Amino acid sequence: MDANKVSPATPDDDGRPDDDRAPATAAEAAKPAVEPLDPFDPARLRLSQNYAATLGVKKLILTVPVRKPSKEWWVQTHSDPTYRIETTVLELKEDREIYLVAPELRHALTSESTFGLRALYTAISSHGVLFLWPIRLPGIDGKLDSWNESALEVAQRATSRWLRICANISLGAYDVSESTALPQPIWPDVAFRDLLATAFKGRRIDTLDHPVLRRLRGEA
Amino acid sequence: MTADPLATFTALNPFAEVWCVDFEFHAPPGERPEPLCMVARELRSGRTLRLWVDELRALAGPPIPLGPQSLIVTYYGSAELGCHLALGWSMPARMLDLFAEFSCLTSGLITPCGRGLLGALTYHGLPALDAAEKVSMRALAMRGGPFTAGERADLLDYCEEDVAALGRLLPVMLATIDLPRALLRGRYMAAVARIESTGVPIDMETFNALKLNWNTIRDQLVVAVDGDYGVYVQNARGYSFSSQRFADWLTRTNIPWPRLPSGALALDDNTFRMMAKTYPAVSTLRELRHTLSGMRLNDLAVGSDGRNRCLLSAFRSKTGRNQPSNSRFIFGPSTWLRGLIRPAAGRAVAYLDWCQQEFGIAAALSGDANMLAAYASGDPYLAFAKQAGAVPADATKETHKAERDRFKVCALAVLFGMGEQSLGQSLGLSPAHARELLRLHRQTYPTFWRWSAAAVDHAMLRGWLHTVFGWRVNVGQQANPRSLANFPMQANGAEMLRLACCLATERGIAVCAPVHDALLIEAAYEAIDTVVIECEAAMREASAVVLNGFELRTDAKVVRYPERYVDGRGEEMWNKVTGLLAELADGSAGEVSDDAIDA
Repeated sequence: MDANKVSPATPDDDGRPDDDRAPATAAEAAKPAVEPLDPFDPARLRLSQNYAATLGVKKLILTVPVRKPSKEWWVQTHSDPTYRIETTVLELKEDREIYLVAPELRHALTSESTFGLRALYTAISSHGVLFLWPIRLPGIDGKLDSWNESALEVAQRATSRWLRICANISLGAYDVSESTALPQPIWPDVAFRDLLATAFKGRRIDTLDHPVLRRLRGEA
Repeated sequence: MTADPLATFTALNPFAEVWCVDFEFHAPPGERPEPLCMVARELRSGRTLRLWVDELRALAGPPIPLGPQSLIVTYYGSAELGCHLALGWSMPARMLDLFAEFSCLTSGLITPCGRGLLGALTYHGLPALDAAEKVSMRALAMRGGPFTAGERADLLDYCEEDVAALGRLLPVMLATIDLPRALLRGRYMAAVARIESTGVPIDMETFNALKLNWNTIRDQLVVAVDGDYGVYVQNARGYSFSSQRFADWLTRTNIPWPRLPSGALALDDNTFRMMAKTYPAVSTLRELRHTLSGMRLNDLAVGSDGRNRCLLSAFRSKTGRNQPSNSRFIFGPSTWLRGLIRPAAGRAVAYLDWCQQEFGIAAALSGDANMLAAYASGDPYLAFAKQAGAVPADATKETHKAERDRFKVCALAVLFGMGEQSLGQSLGLSPAHARELLRLHRQTYPTFWRWSAAAVDHAMLRGWLHTVFGWRVNVGQQANPRSLANFPMQANGAEMLRLACCLATERGIAVCAPVHDALLIEAAYEAIDTVVIECEAAMREASAVVLNGFELRTDAKVVRYPERYVDGRGEEMWNKVTGLLAELADGSAGEVSDDAIDA
């Protein structure tokens, strides 16, 4: 065609959305009322900014310390009773190591001074450090020192509040402080069984021939 | 009959016609574009229109359909749409701008031949135009008329080459284009055309006096400003900035200043800008340094109608923000120069910005309940200090200013991915204090931190991030986790501004300029208050769309003739400059010197 013989487009081509225009084809007539390409309805075009939802990334917990909380830590213990256990451990103070002892070995180790009964509480610090808090339980004589008595009480109370403990030598027990300013902790979604396995990875005594026991027996 | 080259692209099925369009135009600095010719080709039928401006003006309307059944394809189309405005045509209802899409596709990546049409063709392995011919044809168009018949034909041929190039580029790019959101970006190009056409009103009398006396004022300005600092030394070449004297001034004023790994003071403009936020005394010195080193008054693009107009350079930055020329745009880094903005008699301007936009975006997109509550309080920085337990619940901006300022810098620093060292330097605190502030932020806003970490994870694992409307940044080899963490705030802020520009201009508001998180608008003296309310509504609406229903507050500052707009950061400098101008007019100013000044 002659490019210079042009006429203006039809009057209704005025640059505005025009719902009254007659459809050119049957397919066009069957078009849904909501036009998917309408840039004048941007709320429909919005994409999610929840990157985590599409990513499948989650934090892995590869280290769970088994330790008493530091005196500067604010801690909470898990309120779910299934996140604590009473069990037997072997504690090497010099090496600052605690070993989980298999139940079938308990009778054989009762005379071992480093062997004892502990409550293991799942706890978290205000900095988000997840750890197992071991607290000594009464031995076969049923006695418990005042330090561990107060620690057990703190661990029970800390299921719904942030507490901090600091040794008071004169008192023979822990001084306890409470903070109401800290937000509630976010507990990682990990089963207690897995926490235990992580915490005692490589530190589980399940045979009397274990190197630690051999060393304690002077056989190393 | 030739086969439909777009037949395989079902995304284009809703469009009865797909037109590639290009204009050649004449646009001296500061002026609106004057169209010279237009070429348009409908891709399915191959129908091509070649029209010189007198033919265009003889038409009763646009020669191509602009309704929603037509897709108009351009390359940086605000220029084309500026020609629409010059011809009295409406804007296309559906526009696809391949510059915007190429910029979105390659954002964050190096494009060997740039982001122009030639660069896009080369990037996609398509035959490109002759760059030398492009330069000479542009020069011919910019020369302006009258044109010989041969020159007209050459310009039309050149225009048609660009249209043909668009026709080659479109099918190749379509596979990567997210069409629904691409059309939203095309919609913004129409807003840009309207804004570029409106321009910013300039006080021409003062501007001309400044240009005339600039060499004289420049030297005297150093003397006038440096009296408070004592950091410039005079030598044979004029005045030079002395880093030793600056170090002495910092010691005297007890301002801790960031240093380079070499131990030398960091003297780049970004450092000055960052420090000026914490230490206002730095602000005027920064203004002076920029004025002496980078500002060229004659480059400010002001048209014969006394309005500053320049290419807004939409989508130029990685975050999709506009990136207009610092020297041509009145809202460049020399904030004192904004004192030249003055509405004409009977007119008024208003500067509207979103309150704490980045904090609000972070709160809304992360869904952090504490952060949302802090924003809702009206003073998120004081609220942060309260939430962290650093100030009592009844603290106010007046009773706890120092604490509020510290938490404000911390809140902003986190959004920019700043670490404890930089935060400590900004606040003049030890790294331990800065670390504690950052810890308080993490503790107070844990949901935000998880969301922000997920954004960086997404970028590093998938290689890209995107905004709510699909503007993306690609992660290149030099990935910077801090800028990636900041991308959602900056780039969604850019989306918000673009949408607000669309809403405001489509509702007939005269937007003079978009400025980062603000709009400068203009109206008649008596109408400005109403127009401000309308524009604030558009800005709130834009924020609610971007933030999924969460509205950001806005502030407005109205300036009526004969007042002028003054940016607080440049007010002292503006007063010194105009004081010197007044002295010159009185004949009381000192000797004129043309010596160079080394800032």
